[in-house]
Amino acid sequence: MAGLLGRYRGALLAAAVLLIISPVFGVVLAEKVGYHEPLDVAAEKLGLEEHPVAEWTPFSDYTVPGLPDTIGYIVAGAIGVTVILGIGLVAARLTKQ
Amino acid sequence: MHIPDGFLDPFWIMVTYAATIAYAVVAWSKIKGRLTQEQIISMSVLAAGIFVAQMLNWPLPGGTSLHFVGGALAGILFGPWLGFYVMALVLVVQTLVFHDGGITALGANIFNMAVVDVVVGYYLYRAAIRAMGETRKARLIGAFLGGWLGIVLAGLAAGLEIGLSPSFPYGVEVSVPVMVTWHAVLGVIEGLITALVVDYLYQRKSPIIEAAAKVAVHATA
Repeated sequence: MAGLLGRYRGALLAAAVLLIISPVFGVVLAEKVGYHEPLDVAAEKLGLEEHPVAEWTPFSDYTVPGLPDTIGYIVAGAIGVTVILGIGLVAARLTKQ
Repeated sequence: MHIPDGFLDPFWIMVTYAATIAYAVVAWSKIKGRLTQEQIISMSVLAAGIFVAQMLNWPLPGGTSLHFVGGALAGILFGPWLGFYVMALVLVVQTLVFHDGGITALGANIFNMAVVDVVVGYYLYRAAIRAMGETRKARLIGAFLGGWLGIVLAGLAAGLEIGLSPSFPYGVEVSVPVMVTWHAVLGVIEGLITALVVDYLYQRKSPIIEAAAKVAVHATA
């Protein structure tokens, strides 16, 4: 079943490269310049504030406990990719060919 | 564009969850029993790629930032029903594993990025193909327009949801212009990336294109 993923080596390699450079954007530049997307701009004008219902996620904001932010960002991304591909493989296994 | 917890009031939480669940049920009825293993693997590879692409946050001059969303790309490649599940997978994992987007806002986030963005991207792309034939130029133009308008209308939807949530009236008069104007500008980058990725996958005859075409489940299905 995992052999089916072999056909997508190119795409997965491209994702791995993007993952390795991702902290440059997701951590370094975000901290330097401040990450502020249009939704944040609109929310500020409306006076909306984030109220997390609870902290239930293991890797909140793409951090991994005990790791520096940059390395943690890559590891968190790799965990996300693994979870997504894992769900895909399980769903494929449950599907009749 | 991921709405966090605390931005939506209970009414809009319920409305967006209901709309998203309704679309998910319809989409499932369209694809049930028609999916192949190869297609599911292909969808999960695309979902993984979109997940990683969303981690690249680009700061921009003028005090804002953007990241690629990918809903139109998923719709163009897999159609409105499978494309929905590609994006829903990305968004559910982002919320439940990384708290990127609120759990109360998950219905809204899936609706904006996995329904609006996917459907708009798909229909604009198909319109371009119908108008100009199945050519490289039509694919580039259709994917660019789909990527651009998809993100603008997804931004509009998010602007309406957060603007209608606060207890004071006329919030939309503030949130909608901000969301639509910014996304009309930033959407150009989304459109360019969507067009380049679609073109690259077609030129390379990627297995993703092959899998998507094999059991093309389109809106007419």
